[in-house]
Amino acid sequence: MGSTLSCVEILTVLLRKYVKITSDPLSKDWLILSKGHAAPALYALLAENGLIPYEELIKLQSLESRLQGHPDVMIPGVDMSTGSLGQGLSFGIGVAIWIKSKGGSGRVYVVMGDGELDEGQVWEAMTDAARRNLDNLTVIIDCNGYQLDGRLSEVKPKHYMPLVWSVVGWEVFLCDGHNVPNIISTLDEAIRVKAPTVIFAKTVRGRGLKQLEGTDLQRVE
Amino acid sequence: MTMTINSPREAIGLVLAELGSEVQDLVVITADVGRATRAYTFGRKFPERYFNVGIAEQHMISFAAGLASAGAIPVVCAFSTFIMRAWEQIRNTIGRMSSNVKIVGTHAGFSDYADGSSHQSLEDIALMRVIHNMSVVVPADVKDILRSLPVIVKDVKGPLYFRVGRDYSPSITDDYDYEYRLGKAYIVEEGDDIAIIAAGPVLLEALEAARDLKRLGIKAAVVNLMNVKPIDERTLEKVARSCGRIITIEEHSVLGGIGAAVAEVLTQKYPVPMKFIGVTGYGRSAKNVRELLDFYGLNSQSIIKASLELIKL
Repeated sequence: MGSTLSCVEILTVLLRKYVKITSDPLSKDWLILSKGHAAPALYALLAENGLIPYEELIKLQSLESRLQGHPDVMIPGVDMSTGSLGQGLSFGIGVAIWIKSKGGSGRVYVVMGDGELDEGQVWEAMTDAARRNLDNLTVIIDCNGYQLDGRLSEVKPKHYMPLVWSVVGWEVFLCDGHNVPNIISTLDEAIRVKAPTVIFAKTVRGRGLKQLEGTDLQRVE
Repeated sequence: MTMTINSPREAIGLVLAELGSEVQDLVVITADVGRATRAYTFGRKFPERYFNVGIAEQHMISFAAGLASAGAIPVVCAFSTFIMRAWEQIRNTIGRMSSNVKIVGTHAGFSDYADGSSHQSLEDIALMRVIHNMSVVVPADVKDILRSLPVIVKDVKGPLYFRVGRDYSPSITDDYDYEYRLGKAYIVEEGDDIAIIAAGPVLLEALEAARDLKRLGIKAAVVNLMNVKPIDERTLEKVARSCGRIITIEEHSVLGGIGAAVAEVLTQKYPVPMKFIGVTGYGRSAKNVRELLDFYGLNSQSIIKASLELIKL
């Protein structure tokens, strides 16, 4: 739950302001929640956008609901089935390339966790994207500072990541992931750049629930 | 296709390059093996629809799934063994989403004879077969590739694993005129004493064994099981009923491959005595494919021996 709460503002801004949902795969915008464990935040926004009924939210992870523990394409508004980390960026690059090669107007947004950057596939994907001029691709990394076994700094430090992405060829931005005007102004700037862009959004795990904030607890006891 | 081709990978490259004109959304993806798999034959002709992602098989698979979701028709070409390092990506993205991605695994079995066990793919059929939504096709020779791959790219929706070798490909099915359909097993020789079921180039061993068995008065049916999944239960049951004994042969591990797939059906439909001919363990280097087939007993002599044992039972 902590890692769901850390990306609520990011997903809210994306799904309420940026992501156009149409049925045409080339003109719609794609939102890929690569950190699939934040599914409840995504589902809340899908309900807010009228894609699923509010009443279904409370049935999350139950047999009577489509709302799986991790996003699944059978749920309206979910663009990729995720849950296994490190695969969303590769998928997003495939989508973004096809949109570009067909002259489509859609943009691809990939939301990742900072712990997720451990996955080797992220390296495979980010180095590939950098040389393909994908100016329709934006990655937002929810930097809540935790991975499953504890703080990033203890499990596996990743403080060098913005530098790495920049050197590889990404246009790198930093923002406060809980400050809505700051997320919007950063995204506006990122969208104007003629290169793939990555936003490292500083967040607090468990934001909004005092007992969880900045801890590795999974839920309020 | 009129040209003479005698290598599976050459056939893959040429078929894809030919299909590229007709199928406008066809894209080919490879992982730094564009030359080795001949995917580059397509890439040279359609550079804007050819993606070489570098030595990055996991990325290649999820990337192909993204292309498919956006509307492209992706064909992934890489060495069979190294595609398997992306098994979890195939399972979790392509399988679970039933992505319209065709995965061509080349250099399968012992076809990469010199490179040895690291490169010899002997578990791929088992690994792909267990993925829900995934079809598995193992053509016997170039003719089988030419008759099946265009149909698969144009008419089959959903994930499919297409297993081929590198160059070793004796001509086997030239004289048979079946039309390709996913899910069909082809009885290429009729017989009612024993059935030999094979997939891949070892179908040749099955046909040779059947010919030799005939001299001993034993009539062997031979089945080309190029469609390993979905599997043709009706044809398998039919040959089990008419022959009463079955030998399977595969250039693959005896665990989870062709023999297992046949047994899964027949133990429930019509159990008959069976023997599996395949590989136990890893491969090794040799001077050519023939040496390895003989070294591991994937040959007509093994089939004859197993047949006589089964008939004596």
